[in-house]
Amino acid sequence: MNKSTQIVEAGLQKRYAKEKRFRLYGLISILISLAFLVILLADIIGKGYPAFQQTYVKLDVTIDGEVLGLTAESPEDKLYSASYSKVIRNALREKFPGVTDRKQKRALSNLVSKSAAYELRDMVVENPNLIGTSGSYWFLAKDDVDVFMKGNIDRNLPESDRRIKDYQLEWIDTLVAENRLEKRFNTVLFTEADSREPEQAGIRGALMGSLYTMLITMCLAFPIGVAAATYLEEFAPQNNKWVDLIEININNLAAVPSIVFGLLGLAVYINFFGVPRSTPLVGGLVLTLMTLPTIIIASRAAIKAVPPSMREAALGLGASKVQTVFQHVLPMAMPGILTGTIIGMAQALGETAPLLMIGMIAFVSDIPQSIIDPSTVMPVQIYLWSDSPERAFTERTSAAIIVLLAFLITMNLVAIMLRKRFEKRW
Amino acid sequence: MSTEIADKNRDEFDIEILNTVGKPFIDKPEDIKMATRDCDVFYGDKQAIFGVDLDIGKNEIIAMIGPSGCGKSTYLRALNRMNDTIEICRVSGSLTLDGQDIYSKKQDPVLLRARVGMVFQKPNPFPKSIYDNVAYGARLHGLVSNKADLDDLVEASLTKAGLFKEVKDNLQKPGTGLSGGQQQRLCIARTIAVDPEVILMDEPTSALDPIATAIIEELMDELRHNYTIAIVTHSMQQAARISQRTAYFHLGKLVEVNATNDVFTNPEHQLTENYITGRFG
Amino acid sequence: MENGDHILQSYDQELEEIRSKALEMGGLVEKQVSNALQAVLERDVELGEHVASSDADINELEVEIDEECASIIARRQPAAGDLRLLLSIIKITTDLERIGDEAEQIGLYASQLGNHVSNQGMSAQLRHLGELAHSLLKLALDAFARMDDEQAMDVAKKSRRVSREFDDLSRILITHMMDDTRNIKNALRVIWCARAFERIGNHSTNICEFVIYRVKGKDIRHTSLKKIRKKLYPETLKDKKSDDE
Repeated sequence: MNKSTQIVEAGLQKRYAKEKRFRLYGLISILISLAFLVILLADIIGKGYPAFQQTYVKLDVTIDGEVLGLTAESPEDKLYSASYSKVIRNALREKFPGVTDRKQKRALSNLVSKSAAYELRDMVVENPNLIGTSGSYWFLAKDDVDVFMKGNIDRNLPESDRRIKDYQLEWIDTLVAENRLEKRFNTVLFTEADSREPEQAGIRGALMGSLYTMLITMCLAFPIGVAAATYLEEFAPQNNKWVDLIEININNLAAVPSIVFGLLGLAVYINFFGVPRSTPLVGGLVLTLMTLPTIIIASRAAIKAVPPSMREAALGLGASKVQTVFQHVLPMAMPGILTGTIIGMAQALGETAPLLMIGMIAFVSDIPQSIIDPSTVMPVQIYLWSDSPERAFTERTSAAIIVLLAFLITMNLVAIMLRKRFEKRW
Repeated sequence: MSTEIADKNRDEFDIEILNTVGKPFIDKPEDIKMATRDCDVFYGDKQAIFGVDLDIGKNEIIAMIGPSGCGKSTYLRALNRMNDTIEICRVSGSLTLDGQDIYSKKQDPVLLRARVGMVFQKPNPFPKSIYDNVAYGARLHGLVSNKADLDDLVEASLTKAGLFKEVKDNLQKPGTGLSGGQQQRLCIARTIAVDPEVILMDEPTSALDPIATAIIEELMDELRHNYTIAIVTHSMQQAARISQRTAYFHLGKLVEVNATNDVFTNPEHQLTENYITGRFG
Repeated sequence: MENGDHILQSYDQELEEIRSKALEMGGLVEKQVSNALQAVLERDVELGEHVASSDADINELEVEIDEECASIIARRQPAAGDLRLLLSIIKITTDLERIGDEAEQIGLYASQLGNHVSNQGMSAQLRHLGELAHSLLKLALDAFARMDDEQAMDVAKKSRRVSREFDDLSRILITHMMDDTRNIKNALRVIWCARAFERIGNHSTNICEFVIYRVKGKDIRHTSLKKIRKKLYPETLKDKKSDDE
């Protein structure tokens, strides 16, 4: 054995130990990040899971035409404007006749959500013959009842520290005993827009807003981004200072804080072009600006990675430059381009700051029907709810986060499937 | 060649007055397929090719050899304007195909490349089926009008490239799934399918094993009867095996052109001799 | 070697080795020829027998050189000058081996001839022929050692004299045989010797032709000298003309 072999052998153990240690470090860091992820998800899901259930109350309602001032023949606008809340209130009072105190009376009517009156109205409008009849109907319970039913209010606390007073507890116990309180799947969350009342608040408005905004962003940013990247990579004159300038600026844009894009959108789209504010249209336009650099940079990298031999092969067979690019370069770069697009879109989906500047933070209680209806988006909705004082909004915030994550995962899955399809053609 | 003559050549080279030795020209004009006169190629400020005068004859295989960076590939690419894609590349002098200037404004580069096909160093089939690979050029140029004709063309091209027997049951499989030698033959089939007059080959076998190389060389010998072939190769043995004429490039200049037999037994120029015998140049 | 070194140094070494072996073989052959000549001229029976029995070394060397050439061709794929060098060495060693055989024959005849040659004219003519053949061989080997094509050209020119000398000698021998039929046996031995010397001359010419092939890259076998000169040395022709004028 010569000298260098001996030296190598002597140091061998140390080297292996070092390698082992390094591998361990890597493993540990992965475990740590996994742990954080698990904690985060567990927390969110733990908090948000109850929001997918909602408490309903069964009431025996007498739809008294006299109370409402209606008959079955009343015109529709009359049917609409009648005071159905009185009927609900009467039903509650009938149920708990002993209540006389004004404060308690109000508390009593607060067992049921305000939406109960609207539900009743809708039923009556649909079927005016209900007037004068009586029956049992399920209505949304008020948020406090809901929170209590989900066990988030401790009945052993002193009364002064509880949001639900002793007399309310009594009512609830009575209702539970009569099977008149029930937890059901929370359809409201998915069918309604935002509301001041937690039990009536849903994320559909924000979800649709996000969807429209993403559609606009996708439809604008993808073609523009790919076109720009293609031009810069394949057609732009090399070593031209203008091209260099554009390249540098694109790279810089990717690092610009997103709120600046919001300001830009406000100044240019809303103030100058007069695009309606708070709409998915303007939101999409702003997010397009923000996403473009990401898509362009990723697409350029993907296009650059297409082997030059492919271009040569096509050119050598007599394909023109444009044919080469569209028939060979872009399809081969597509997986990379799609990856960049996914990243950009995911970024855009989670973005709040620029949207604040263009008014998408407004309280919108209607589900947007088109891209020019005022709306909000998921992250903004989450932000709004997390800011609300009502206890019941906490779980809705988490539920909204879960829905946002699901939205993101769906979007990514679609993109990954698309990418797989393109990759197969290699 | 005595030392004296060799030194004389070297001196001439050093002072950059270089006349190509041997027979760069073909006597009968009707035998000339492509011709270049005083061809210079520049990359920006850097000159890559210096005044190359060369005739390429019909139905011959002409091999271009020389050390790396000698400009042989650049020259080859000038012959079908592949250099056009490189923005800073400029070609001057006269380059003709059948007597017509290929760099004139009237000459369409796409049409030129259909007439002067190219096979590259690395087998580069498209990530498509074998069939689509071969049909690509024909579809691109609209050479055939119906499916049956296209089928025939694909089969004929693959047969000419000696690949049909091996792939006839797998025409719809991806071309990238073939072995390296098969891929290169697929690329040749793809080039033939466009029915070019000249085929340029840029080190077509440098990525292949000797057996695959031999198959391609045999194929080239077959193709010679219908096409003119110009091949750039790093393998001197390959040039010796397959070509009728050999051109030796050195530092962007065409040093010597002669019949391959002569070049490999008795080169005229000392630089050629040094290169093919593996001496320090 | 005049062309500078190969990038592969072992290639240079192998070529150099083969060349020196060929030269060594040339030396051996030359020694054999000079010994044979001496044996014939000085009626040295012992030396003649020695010559006749020491051809084996030469044959061995030829086989060795051939093997090495084959190995270089197979492993190095020589081209151009290297290829011509190897081809000429292969050919030259064949000629050398033949020369060795001729020398062996001469040695054999010398040992049989003993003191029988009496005719002075015949003896002188044989010496003449033998020395000429010997000198041609030496010059040819010299040209080979230095790869001197001009000297080789000279040798080729001189080689014509060998046939002339041989013709002269055979005329003398015929007269000698007609004089006395008892002379026939020895005269035949002499003429075989002479024949062998003539062959040696021819083989030397061949060596020169291969030297020229190695240097000039042109095969000049079976070509008249004039044509060769026209093809390879046009300048010397012109010089001659101007000299003539």
